[in-house]
Amino acid sequence: MNGAQYIVQTLKQQGVTQIFGYPGGAIMPLYDALYDGGVEHLLCRHEQAAALGAVGYARASGQVGVCMATSGPGATNLITGLADAMLDSIPVVAITGQVPMAAIGTDAFQEVDVLGMSLSCTKHSYLVENVENLGDIIAEAFEVARSGRPGPVLIDVPKNVQVALVEPRATVPCTTAPNALDEAALAKARAMLAEARQPILYVGGGVGMANAEAELRAFAERSGIPAVTTLKGIGTLNPDHELFLGMLGMHGTKAANLAVQQSDLLMVVGARFDDRVTGKLDAFAVNAKVIHLDKDAAEFGKVRQAHVGIDAELQQVLPRLTGEHLAIDAWRDQCKALKAEHQWRYDHPGEAIYAPLMLKQLSEALDDTAMISCDVGQHQMWVAQHMRFTSPRNHLSSAGLGTMGFGLPAAIGAKLARPEHESVLVSGDGSFMMNVQELGTLKRAQLPVKMVLLDNQRLGMVRQWQELFFDGRFSETILTDNPDFVAMAAAFGIPGETITRKEQVQPAIARMLQADTAYLLHVRISEEENVWPLVPPGVANDQMMESKA
Amino acid sequence: MNQHNLQIEAQFRPEVLERVLRMTRHRGFRVDDMEMSTAADCQSLSIRVTVSSERPIQLLSRQLEKLMNVTRVETHLMEQPLKQSA
Ligand SMILES: Cc1ncc(C[n+]2csc(CCOP(=O)(O)OP(=O)(O)O)c2C)c(N)n1
Repeated sequence: MNGAQYIVQTLKQQGVTQIFGYPGGAIMPLYDALYDGGVEHLLCRHEQAAALGAVGYARASGQVGVCMATSGPGATNLITGLADAMLDSIPVVAITGQVPMAAIGTDAFQEVDVLGMSLSCTKHSYLVENVENLGDIIAEAFEVARSGRPGPVLIDVPKNVQVALVEPRATVPCTTAPNALDEAALAKARAMLAEARQPILYVGGGVGMANAEAELRAFAERSGIPAVTTLKGIGTLNPDHELFLGMLGMHGTKAANLAVQQSDLLMVVGARFDDRVTGKLDAFAVNAKVIHLDKDAAEFGKVRQAHVGIDAELQQVLPRLTGEHLAIDAWRDQCKALKAEHQWRYDHPGEAIYAPLMLKQLSEALDDTAMISCDVGQHQMWVAQHMRFTSPRNHLSSAGLGTMGFGLPAAIGAKLARPEHESVLVSGDGSFMMNVQELGTLKRAQLPVKMVLLDNQRLGMVRQWQELFFDGRFSETILTDNPDFVAMAAAFGIPGETITRKEQVQPAIARMLQADTAYLLHVRISEEENVWPLVPPGVANDQMMESKA
Repeated sequence: MNQHNLQIEAQFRPEVLERVLRMTRHRGFRVDDMEMSTAADCQSLSIRVTVSSERPIQLLSRQLEKLMNVTRVETHLMEQPLKQSA
């Protein structure tokens, strides 16, 4: 067998059943091996979408996502997707074709230094110099991608390695041993929890990545600590729990931000004090001590000093913390009162469609297994605020990188990961156009992905900032020249409709969900709506703006 | 501005030096001095770098420890800093 066939065989041994990619010269031997290799491959219409498709697949399934591309422009197009996976700790393995070893460094046709480019946007990367190493490298790459703090790994395979003959052998199984729990730190954390009067559980995406939702929910229930999540932590906690205060940070709930600001202990689990979370850092929860649990010890003290940092598998450490219900009844009452006082309001005047209400209605029309992918901007924040999630696997949002164009490929990847569940995209008119070519992928694969396009004819989130912080100088954010989106979908054989008034919303959602094909629901919304509340730049999180002052 | 010496042991890979230096720059540390040597069997290498930064050295050393091919990182505060270029 040749190197390319060896790659396909090793991928199958790793349990890979779905690949996202795009062919080209330097990866043709691998595409030849895929022709009858027994692994599904989805032809995306842009390598960025192949990488983001793999991200969506990984996020929805918890498995490693796999994408591939040719050398040069194919590989450079993957980079945004890898950076997205890097910042959100998503396990992805990318395979790129490369010019033959002898041509590397000669400025050959479609040669770029992919290994060099990958250094800053992957957890690790390889250039395979010898076909004998191929199997072990792939096995190691999968282990690196999914172990510890997960992330993307790139394998660059020169064409001569793909065609070289090789005697396949069993790959060395590769596992990472967990490190022992730091008992002294654990004891200190327990003591801090017992002493705290106003503790808050601050939950990030790391919990879902570690499959530790059950352990976290049990801890939250046992201890009775009021809880908040980050954007990526959404779905990790029971959304209906009386002590769950919602998302914190720039567009978080007022209850969450006020409670965090008043807390005397932050128990941070799988989160990293992102600047969208903390606002003005030296004014963030100033009276709080910090217990930080994470699989990545480099997060301890990176942004905020921890009094105790515990580097451990969250599944193991959470059951070891606090057996008792903490005596913090007054604080619980205070948090419940904050939550009651700052409920969302949906009583919006007029006939026009109010996006937050529409998303709430969409959420109510779906069951708990539905996967929502979104793009980046106002609609992304409205999804986080107004839709209800019971698992982080159901909320696919580009949190760390904020990648416009993420949504459609992620929704496609999610649908392939969990075909039995509904995959719904919520996009904006700006973001949708960034990977709109993937309508072709939907057509090709006949995937029934449901698309809700919230069209404000603006780059809404940027327009909002221009309105609030740049004197209303709307520089390059007006999109009144958008295409006819429904006609565009129709060109790909995808049915759809446009709605403009509140009373059309529920029947249109029903029609969309009843369709057994892909569907585009194009929703015209006001160009002036803003996302509230908002922590303006440079102030503390309790100084939230609630509407234009 | 603190100056530290980092002693880094790593498996030999052609790109290891690049990874270490990229990480050092990106995390906010300036390289003031450095040397590298490869073991006789060419399997491992060691890098000694003197870095300066306003940031705590753990911000760098913990990130370096995470690099796949890096096997050990030791840090020492320089009591008598090297003469620094302006
Ligand atoms: C690739 C990329 N380019 C630019 C941005 C900056 N950006 C953030 S939100 C936004 C506007 C998004 O507009 P739209 O998709 O229509 O969503 P809306 O905010 O109107 O809901 C822009 C340009 C980004 N996040 N990603």
